[in-house]
Amino acid sequence: MTRKRSFGAELSPQQLIEIDACTQCGECLKHCPVQEVTGNPAISPPEKIRLFREFLRTTDGLKARLLGPTTVDPRLLEDFAKAVYECTTCGACGQNCPTGVFTQRLWPALRKELVARGIGPLGIQSGMPGAIARSGNPYDKPAAERFSPWFPRQVTVAERAEIGYYAGCSGAYEAQPMVRGDVLVLGATGVPFTMLPPEEEVCCGFPLFITGQHEKLAGLVKRLVDGYAARGVKTLVCSCPCCVNIMSRDWPSIYGAPLPFMIRHITQFVVDAFNQGKLRITQELRESVIYHDPCYLSRGVGVIEEPRAVLRSIPGLTLLEFERHGLDSRCCGSGGAARKVFHENAIAMGRLTIDEAVAKKADRLVLSCPACYAKVNEAMRGYEKQIVITDIMELLASLL
Amino acid sequence: MSPPDAAVVVATYAVIAAFYARLGLHALVWWEAVRRSPPALPRGIGAFSRALAGAALDVVFLRRLLMVNPALWLGEWVFHVSLFVVLLRHLRYVLDPIPAWVAWAQTPGWIAGFLLPAALLYILVLRVLTRLEKFSARANLLVLLDVLVLAVSGLLLSTRFRTDLTAVKLFAFGIVSFTPSPPPAGALFALHLGLALALLLYVPSHVFTAPLVMLDARGRELALRRVIHDA
Repeated sequence: MTRKRSFGAELSPQQLIEIDACTQCGECLKHCPVQEVTGNPAISPPEKIRLFREFLRTTDGLKARLLGPTTVDPRLLEDFAKAVYECTTCGACGQNCPTGVFTQRLWPALRKELVARGIGPLGIQSGMPGAIARSGNPYDKPAAERFSPWFPRQVTVAERAEIGYYAGCSGAYEAQPMVRGDVLVLGATGVPFTMLPPEEEVCCGFPLFITGQHEKLAGLVKRLVDGYAARGVKTLVCSCPCCVNIMSRDWPSIYGAPLPFMIRHITQFVVDAFNQGKLRITQELRESVIYHDPCYLSRGVGVIEEPRAVLRSIPGLTLLEFERHGLDSRCCGSGGAARKVFHENAIAMGRLTIDEAVAKKADRLVLSCPACYAKVNEAMRGYEKQIVITDIMELLASLL
Repeated sequence: MSPPDAAVVVATYAVIAAFYARLGLHALVWWEAVRRSPPALPRGIGAFSRALAGAALDVVFLRRLLMVNPALWLGEWVFHVSLFVVLLRHLRYVLDPIPAWVAWAQTPGWIAGFLLPAALLYILVLRVLTRLEKFSARANLLVLLDVLVLAVSGLLLSTRFRTDLTAVKLFAFGIVSFTPSPPPAGALFALHLGLALALLLYVPSHVFTAPLVMLDARGRELALRRVIHDA
């Protein structure tokens, strides 16, 4: 009797144990942003886990082992795939899980299994590997336009330096004020920094990782790591939370060795620059601003205090907080590569962020993620509530 | 032994065997995953010890649930602790001689016998009647109802409709020592035993795996400050 491919083939032992350990209590639903805008328990974390247990039984259960695997209803599998890909992978469910399931990595693992079975990814996501192979970015934009439209002419990039800067695809193509702000701030510190040429600064792999399409990941990571190492980089600075997340958490295992440099989020670098007297704010800002924690920055890598330290150092600024902030931050809707497929959900979630910022009477909504920046701006188009949206480095660069 | 009594003994062994088979099957799936991708070793003895100590507290006090739902935590904690103490009390039926710590657990176990159904009713009210919770898996509710009736029948057996304890001991000890004896007579005991066997069949697997996940979650929490920070 030949054994069918196990549904657990792409899951680590820990993740298989997590699938078993879910108590189905439903506490996570209160924190799920997709639940908040759809109200559909069928796409909830416990329901996904319950269904996946059923699928596991068909290949690994007692009956399957004794009598051979059974077939899963293809429509059920399709519904499951939709539920898994509709998730923004923000990880709020895991953060609030009474057991502590690490959902920010479990959902991508389930997606990897669906990709291996030819059921995932969904819609436009399936074109990403091809786009990255062609143009180096998931948006399939020309490499020649990666830096030129926004890069400030007055800032010099060194050929070799201990500090490297990675702009990232979403920033470079979809949130240009953000990466322009990054480079202006880096330039203002006077610390030499290097960058890869536009055709060499390829995708960090996050969109492929998060949609379960791992085939080309290792090549991308090796190309980037070797590229920065060749330029003498000891610290790689980046502002995109998703890039920072995969670089720090997954690059070492994908690369197969410890990275030859440290990964730092740009707000960490700026706080250090403030402390060392390399950066000074010359203007004040008499505004109440509210800061939104990106999921992959706060829950993902624990960068919570540094963005607030940057904002508090601006004279005259009053910092407001969302009800859910820090580790419990609510997703703005743009995570998990779901925003391009489940557009309406993402817009509804983005508007919840806008609603709360307006209700708190903030003058400005400060973001620090290119995906959040692009989607929340999009959510505000044609919406009755309006607020100024600014990236944290864009704001800082305007006050130096 | 009469044929109905023999049937009860056989059913009891079958359920116990099914329980171990289920556990073994889960272990087999995990083992296959371990062979496929060996887990990384814990980061240093110190970090692992801290995670272990923290996870032990998480398991004993259900800290993570307390943080997200204090009202539910109260019921769940009383339920889990009283169930544990009641199970300790039941060890007198399967151990011979009875250790001192099992003897000590008899009075707390008797008190826990009252707290157990009260906690379960509280959880049921919170989960179902008040509709405070958006999601309650049907399987969870069935297990909850099973334990509730099990607890009430156990309470009645120890207070109102006392059963023959010698017969209970002979039956239970007979099962674990493979020297079967007939089960005690009485419908209430039959119900109690039936529900206990049903629970053993459908006991949620999180009972075994949640502590491991809590350990990993504690380690991850402690390590979060080290992902891209110096300390």
